[in-house]
Amino acid sequence: MKPMSCEHESSIIRALHSGEWSGELRRHAAECPDCSQALDLAEALGAAARRAQAGFHAPDPLWILQRSRRRSREIAMRRVTRLLAAMRALAAVYVAAAALWLLRGYTALPYREVASSMHGTSAGFALMGAMAAAVCVAAGLWPILRDRSEAG
Amino acid sequence: MEDARMISAWITAGREQTAAGEEGFRRLYEATSRPLWGYLQHASGRPDVADDLLQETYCKYLLRKAPAMNEAESRSYLFRIATNLLHNRVRSRDDAALEEPPERGAQTDEDALLDVRALMRHLKPRERELLWLAYVEGMSHAEIAAATGLGVMSIRILLYRARQKASEFLRPQRIKS
Repeated sequence: MKPMSCEHESSIIRALHSGEWSGELRRHAAECPDCSQALDLAEALGAAARRAQAGFHAPDPLWILQRSRRRSREIAMRRVTRLLAAMRALAAVYVAAAALWLLRGYTALPYREVASSMHGTSAGFALMGAMAAAVCVAAGLWPILRDRSEAG
Repeated sequence: MEDARMISAWITAGREQTAAGEEGFRRLYEATSRPLWGYLQHASGRPDVADDLLQETYCKYLLRKAPAMNEAESRSYLFRIATNLLHNRVRSRDDAALEEPPERGAQTDEDALLDVRALMRHLKPRERELLWLAYVEGMSHAEIAAATGLGVMSIRILLYRARQKASEFLRPQRIKS
């Protein structure tokens, strides 16, 4: 059996919807088993559609418009938030990279010369600077990590 | 980028343009909401799901619609969105209970015999969609292809099979009645 419809089927369905039947088409619908089957089904489904749609109460279109506008604002807000998060991540990466670079620069110095030139106060300042950099890095990373854990 | 264009259009549109847009949408909504709801209701088998998806369909349409879309294109696009939402709903298995076919012997009185809802539950979601679009909406195979994302040849074959299945389901009931 070839799984294809009769070539007149769509003309018959169109005629059913428009009500414009030619004599030839009506005869074909009566004689062709495929088309009469399609016609029976279309009539049954059409009757069910009319019955169901009679009980349909459409929501107010203005309410749908307002809902879509609200959603478009949310989308815009999400985009802006995403941009801010990206900027924050970039800043954290920058701080971390700068801290590493400074640390690398510091360790690359001849240790003995630096150590001999540093007295107690200088060593204290260097330690405080390193701690401040670590705090900055941690402060930059903390909100990002917190956002990710909440989203995940 | 499409969303961004839409957002900026909504934000920058003047009051007159917004009013014209609202009027255009209201006319489109009045012309399409009833058939679209009928499609969603019979394809999903549940009026509450149809209500949800109808609103969602129009929201998505408003968010994504191209500016130069005429009424026929809008209608086709709405059915496309609705079909995709139906597929998502079926995939999410929220309405798994609806997919169970009814018992054939359960239909006794004449009203129940003629109830197309039993037939729709008997069919697969894709078969319901195709039958509805072809026989209730009177869409051509090309229009169904645009609404479902299937190829025209696939639609011919699937529609034929769906029709056979539907007729076989309805035939014993008609003989009994």
